[in-house]
Amino acid sequence: MVSAQALLDGSHLDDATVIGRSVDQPELFATVFDRHAGEIFQYVARRLGPGPAEDVVAEVFLVAFRSRARYDRARPDARPWLYGMATNLTSQHRRAERRRIRAMSRVAADRPGSFDDRSAERVTAEQLQPRLARVLSRLSPGERDLLLLVAWTDLSYEDVAQALGVPIGTVRSRLHRVRAKVRRSLGGADPLSLENRDG
Amino acid sequence: MDDEIRLFAEGRPAAPPYPAEAREAARRLLLDEAARPRRFRVPWMGWQAVGAFGLTVALVGGVGVALSSPPAPGPASGGNGPQSVSVAPPADVAELDPKPGQFIMVESETMYPSERYTKEGEPPIRHLYRTKRQIWKSVDGSQAGLLRIDHLEPKAFPGQPLPQEGLENEGSALHEIDGHCPSTPDSLRTDFAYLSTLPADAAGMREHLYAQEDHGKNTPDDAAWTRIGDLLRENYLPRAQREALFEAGKTIPGVEVAEGVEDAAGREGVALGRVEHGLLTQLVFAPETRDFLGERGTVVDAAVTGAPAGSVLALTAQTRVAVAGELPSAQGAGSDGSCEDLSRQQPAATPSG
Repeated sequence: MVSAQALLDGSHLDDATVIGRSVDQPELFATVFDRHAGEIFQYVARRLGPGPAEDVVAEVFLVAFRSRARYDRARPDARPWLYGMATNLTSQHRRAERRRIRAMSRVAADRPGSFDDRSAERVTAEQLQPRLARVLSRLSPGERDLLLLVAWTDLSYEDVAQALGVPIGTVRSRLHRVRAKVRRSLGGADPLSLENRDG
Repeated sequence: MDDEIRLFAEGRPAAPPYPAEAREAARRLLLDEAARPRRFRVPWMGWQAVGAFGLTVALVGGVGVALSSPPAPGPASGGNGPQSVSVAPPADVAELDPKPGQFIMVESETMYPSERYTKEGEPPIRHLYRTKRQIWKSVDGSQAGLLRIDHLEPKAFPGQPLPQEGLENEGSALHEIDGHCPSTPDSLRTDFAYLSTLPADAAGMREHLYAQEDHGKNTPDDAAWTRIGDLLRENYLPRAQREALFEAGKTIPGVEVAEGVEDAAGREGVALGRVEHGLLTQLVFAPETRDFLGERGTVVDAAVTGAPAGSVLALTAQTRVAVAGELPSAQGAGSDGSCEDLSRQQPAATPSG
């Protein structure tokens, strides 16, 4: 019998507890979705665009649900786990990501003088984007995963390490390498070569 | 944060909010998945049961009409669809006689509470969702079956307005359902062949109800009561086992018998009822044959359930039970994978690239 109290209390329990209980009470897993689906969607939408993100997010939670029995209950926050799955599933959409990066690289040029009603922050982002798109296009998929988890989410390095399934030392050393690459790309004069990236 | 990283953080593209429709669709997919038969619980409805209030995860209830049925031909004979169906009053109908290789089809109407948590710390948004369900289960659990769910017009949760969003009020879904998984113990089977082997006397049946070793945080009485519902919903038991189950149920502490209790189809029967979490759950049986008619959940404690005392939060009717020679077309059905999930070790997330 499902305990009513357990269900009603779902919103006050940490993720680990909810996921643990959902092993026997599958419907409780909806609470995990309700808490984090919006955030995961935004991250994936930034990487792939809103259309593919809808599919990926639905898949993330199905995969998470099916593997809930193996969740490490020592971790109260499920977001690193969910971001890890989102990252894996995003990697199956490299084509969409390439399109997205190409679109980013054109943002400023496509909308000349259209910033009037936007916030300064937004304008800054859009002016930056073509340059960043160029950099992103030159990173390997793994480097991109790492950089964007660090830059586009509020996960700690330790969380990112957990999401990617690597030791935290590896995160630091890879990030060091990625930063060097980013510096070179931002300062370099290589032509945009998106079309040549494989995926 | 280092400069290069900050640059990327600041240049982050704007992200649109998660469209409500897509969000609902994804959530529904997840809930459909949660509602599938899995592990040792009853399954098929699971999620819907969510309503909480102590409704079990099982949910459907039902009904029963027994249907007479000449032994149906096996699949090889090309039989298709129910071999016999009857919605006649359960008085003097013959018992079904399902054979291995065939399927038991149970059709039911259900209403259970649904609740959605939209924001942490806020109370859930509730409504009563309604479905029509048709389930085909292998007579001996050896084959996969099929479950069709059609959503019916939802109702407001007593004392609350009907929410404008998040209602599962349209469409239908087809799911394949696994038979008995090799890795689960026999004592958790609910196929007809297994149910036929249960004790045909009240004392033996009571022992069976209390034999479960693991009832989690439930008391043994709670677990025995839950087991009764699990054995009845969307299943078919021989008459001797049905009668034994009814008699054994009466002996569970807290269970009370009531006459003239109506199921969702308006049929009156004799009910075994027990209060849990502020809700009186009644399992309604046909007075003569002890066919399972349906389930009724009535609020007794407004504070616990969040609905006025006397209001009905759960109401079901099993409107048809029949034997089928083979499954209807399963085209487009989602696969189950429960058995697979039980035996598979999925690798942990690995870095891509």
